[in-house]
Amino acid sequence: MAFKRSSAEREDTQDPKRQKTNGDGSAIMDPKQNPYLAHQYEDDQNGFESPLDDFKRHKTTAVQAAKAEDSDLNPWTGVPHSQQYFMILKTRRDLPVSKQRQEFLDYYHSSQILVFVGETGSGKTTQIPQYVLYDELPHLTGKLIACTQPRRVAAMSVAQRVANELDVQLGEEVGYSIRFENKTGPKTLLKYMTDGQLLREAMHDHAMSRYGCIILDEAHERTLATDILMALLKQIAEKRKDLKIIVMSATLDAQKFQTYFFNAPLLAVPGRTHPVEIFYTPEPERDYVEAAVRTVLQIHASEPEGDILLFLTGEEEIEDACRRIGLEVDDMIRESDAGPMAVYPLYGTLPPHQQQRIFDKAPESSRKGGRPGRKCIVATNIAETSLTIDGIVYVVDPGFSKQKIYNPRTRVESLLVSPISKASAQQRAGRAGRTRPGKCFRLYTEKAFKKELIEQTYPEILRSNLANTVLELKKLGVEDLVHFDLMDPPAPETMMRALEELNYLACLDDDGELTTLGSLASEFPLDPALAVMLISSPEFYCSNEILSITALLSVPQIWVRPNNARKRADEMKQQFAHPDGDHLTLLNAYHAYKGAEQGGEDAKKWCHEHFLSFRHLSSADNVRSQLKRIMETHGIELVSTPFQNKEYYINIRRALLAGFFMQVAMRESANSKVYKTVKDDQLVMIHPGTVVTSPYDWVVYNEFVLTTKQYVRTVTNIRPEWLLEIAPNYYDVETFEKSEIKSALMRVAEKIRRRQAMKGAK
Amino acid sequence: MGLAGAKNKRKLGNDPNNTKWSRNTDSFGHKILKAQGWQPGDYLGAKDAAHAEWHTEANSAHIRVVLKDDTLGLGAKRNHGDECTGLDAFQHLLGRLNGKSDEALETERKAREDLKRSLYVEQKYGTIRFVKGGWLVGDQVKDAPDEQLVDSQNGPASEAPQGAAQVTEATATALMESNKRKTDQDDDRTDDKKRKKERKSKKRKAESEAAADGESAREKKSKKSKKRRAEAEESDGEASFSSRSSKKKKVEVKLIGESALSSKAAASEASGVPDDAEDAAESGMAKKEKKDKKKDKSDRKERKEKKRRKDSALETVIATPAESSLSTPDGSGYSTPVPTGSSRYLARSRFIAQKKMAFADSAALNQIFMIKS
Repeated sequence: MAFKRSSAEREDTQDPKRQKTNGDGSAIMDPKQNPYLAHQYEDDQNGFESPLDDFKRHKTTAVQAAKAEDSDLNPWTGVPHSQQYFMILKTRRDLPVSKQRQEFLDYYHSSQILVFVGETGSGKTTQIPQYVLYDELPHLTGKLIACTQPRRVAAMSVAQRVANELDVQLGEEVGYSIRFENKTGPKTLLKYMTDGQLLREAMHDHAMSRYGCIILDEAHERTLATDILMALLKQIAEKRKDLKIIVMSATLDAQKFQTYFFNAPLLAVPGRTHPVEIFYTPEPERDYVEAAVRTVLQIHASEPEGDILLFLTGEEEIEDACRRIGLEVDDMIRESDAGPMAVYPLYGTLPPHQQQRIFDKAPESSRKGGRPGRKCIVATNIAETSLTIDGIVYVVDPGFSKQKIYNPRTRVESLLVSPISKASAQQRAGRAGRTRPGKCFRLYTEKAFKKELIEQTYPEILRSNLANTVLELKKLGVEDLVHFDLMDPPAPETMMRALEELNYLACLDDDGELTTLGSLASEFPLDPALAVMLISSPEFYCSNEILSITALLSVPQIWVRPNNARKRADEMKQQFAHPDGDHLTLLNAYHAYKGAEQGGEDAKKWCHEHFLSFRHLSSADNVRSQLKRIMETHGIELVSTPFQNKEYYINIRRALLAGFFMQVAMRESANSKVYKTVKDDQLVMIHPGTVVTSPYDWVVYNEFVLTTKQYVRTVTNIRPEWLLEIAPNYYDVETFEKSEIKSALMRVAEKIRRRQAMKGAK
Repeated sequence: MGLAGAKNKRKLGNDPNNTKWSRNTDSFGHKILKAQGWQPGDYLGAKDAAHAEWHTEANSAHIRVVLKDDTLGLGAKRNHGDECTGLDAFQHLLGRLNGKSDEALETERKAREDLKRSLYVEQKYGTIRFVKGGWLVGDQVKDAPDEQLVDSQNGPASEAPQGAAQVTEATATALMESNKRKTDQDDDRTDDKKRKKERKSKKRKAESEAAADGESAREKKSKKSKKRRAEAEESDGEASFSSRSSKKKKVEVKLIGESALSSKAAASEASGVPDDAEDAAESGMAKKEKKDKKKDKSDRKERKEKKRRKDSALETVIATPAESSLSTPDGSGYSTPVPTGSSRYLARSRFIAQKKMAFADSAALNQIFMIKS
């Protein structure tokens, strides 16, 4: 690794060797100073005297490292440290982990795998990677340090913070890499990345040979990617004894992690949390929303200063509660001289500037000497782990959250309100003790806590469709799916369903081996069905359009439907509506957006006027260009049918089927609103958000969800003939059980045969 | 909900769980898994994995979901309040069949009866809330009884109501808690000093709870407050007070006596709860008030739950008396929350009362019978 420095900086270093050169005052320039020759001296460690020079890899101590940190020059760049650096350093030294730096290093030296437990606020995410950096000395070995995060935002913001702490430029020594964005350079030593990103890298580098140490942060969140990474690293660790692994978790029941990683040693660091007093209700509540609202009001009326965090389940519930609390507080202020209270909602689909409002200061007391003001945040469980809001003293926890759970039998993804886990209840309560001792009000009985709540939230791997995961595993070189050593192996049926889907998509051959198509599909950071649709789109002369649709389907809903302007929003959506379905409507909206953008209009304003989400459209645009690049590298043609051609939309609809032929439903009977999914025979309705008004007999759908009912979302009208033509394997009528769908398909097949016979006769 | 409930029609398919698919052992997935050495009934994952002890049923079959389309709280039953009746009569028999000892059966029976009685009282009259006013030690009112007095005075005076009160818990938690409490009592008897301290804090908690009760009730009727406050100040001197056990619905009235407010603690107490003292005083002669109290039967339960939760929450407010007196708006004098809705009993009793009044009032009778006088 190189330490390039400008000559001006060298002047300050008072390097005796160079002083001599300067002292000569000669015209002969030190070749090392010649910027054109710099590359020859890249490996020259004497470019400046770094305290790191006497460090021995895996033999450093905390004292040594502290000295290096205290030095006037940045040991990594040789640039003098800024004033700010020392200020940050002081606060860093106050963090709880800092006291155990030596202990950490001892553990780190003695074991290949280490489980590290640090409660929120211990500073583990920012500090531990730096401690490793000072010990691993990646500039000598060329092997990077990776630290994974479950969320993109966290990876970005933590990388920025650590770059500041090390007094370096983000993207130089410290960088980050997330899907569709890579901010690292040749000098990068420490890399923050999403867990999914590391997994994608592992697809091409099975041994993770670029890395000397991998830190899995927030392992307790048990995301799909983290789970797979853990199993993978477990395998790699046996082959690569030089690879160090640190698993970091915020919960104290790390025993499972320890057992899983060959009884790895455990190091625990206390957090900087205050005690939280927990209250239960003596009896169950009849209406948890009502109870939650009242509790918030009572806290406001009678508890001392401190902000309130209320957990509810979904957008609608949250907005409703916010409104009610707001109204009641107004009453309270009018009638009983209560302090002012600001109420903020917080949920995933809220635009960022509104999310930002939760960090606003609580309102001031309305008059001098009056009751203090406070803020109340009504949030989904994103406030449970992902976000840290200081100043929260009271937590109100009704004990529910919305969870996505996949059912491999019916292939429905349910998004339902369900009881949280004990672990998650404790996490929620812990939020109250960030700044000072707090209180947590649980709107259920202690008995319910003990009996009705499961211990741990189900990890994502048990709740998801694994088609994508299986494809990734195959690509990662995992042959034996049955005995792949996952911490929580999924249900066999889920695995079967994934295999089956991949087989029908021709990503796996009949022996379960990855096909060329499968290998290509895994190059795309998409679900297999989407990837296959994209790859086969040139055959239908509409890869440009399918690319746009794919991008639009991989971002959140682009339609904005604010509560106070629903009707207007629906009218606007109707402008883009295509009678044949939602996929085409999406495409129309995207084309209109691009048209407006190219027409020189203010895209943001235009989106606002048309009730479209500028944020999601521009991110779809970004995704599109990334996918386009992948297509280009793999030689997938980008073609379009001319818009005037009457086949234009038909081609697109047919191309949809190439990936989604397994997601088709037929109307149960004429005049019925109920559809039946093919093969699984589930009764579904079309989601009310659709633009499809005239009921079609056959539709292809993008998702099948269970919310209040079983709905299919984003549907487009298709013709049954296409099914037999495009996916003859899946629509082998002989394999169907006797049903209306079978007889309908038989009729269609008969029709085709007759038409062909007629053609033949001519 | 029964017949009166909202109809919720849901059409189910022939095979909503798609057992057709799950029973099919010829599918591609099944084939591949078997080829790799999986047997039906096995977990996936490494053979003899050390961490397998943590595996749950979620690792062997998909997670079952329940469609929750109401806002029922966690642990609440939809038919709460009209469970199957009449089973009580058989509890004895069933218990014996299950091999419980006679003593246990007897205590259970007593608990059931107490529960029934208190439920009856609660439903019929509603409960009156009281506020903790301190302990009369000698001729002084204190925050908590002295160590020695714990046994002599506190034992009978406060444990007993606790015992009675716990039965009133209409939920299943009651039994659980009572057990806990019993052990508490036992501990007390051992005369352990530590315990006492603990208890003391518990007392304080109860106190603050009670005070908070008053507070929240007060908020509801801040209009009446001013007049009453004046009254309360008068009654300051004779602060007759009552003990109210923590977390309980039912209250045992204990007029311990008149006392001078000499100790500081009591003074601060009084500043926090003037109207409660007055309230208690009133309640002595308060047959009139009963009527008012009846009114609140309707959604009292709900409220009370919340109150109670709150109560325990409000500790800190009262812990600092200065603040509490600052922050508390003036009270209404009613310790029971004022109802907003109505119930069957309420309507009926009001109707009966009206009738009675009409019969007692000759002018009204004349009017009814259209007798011109």
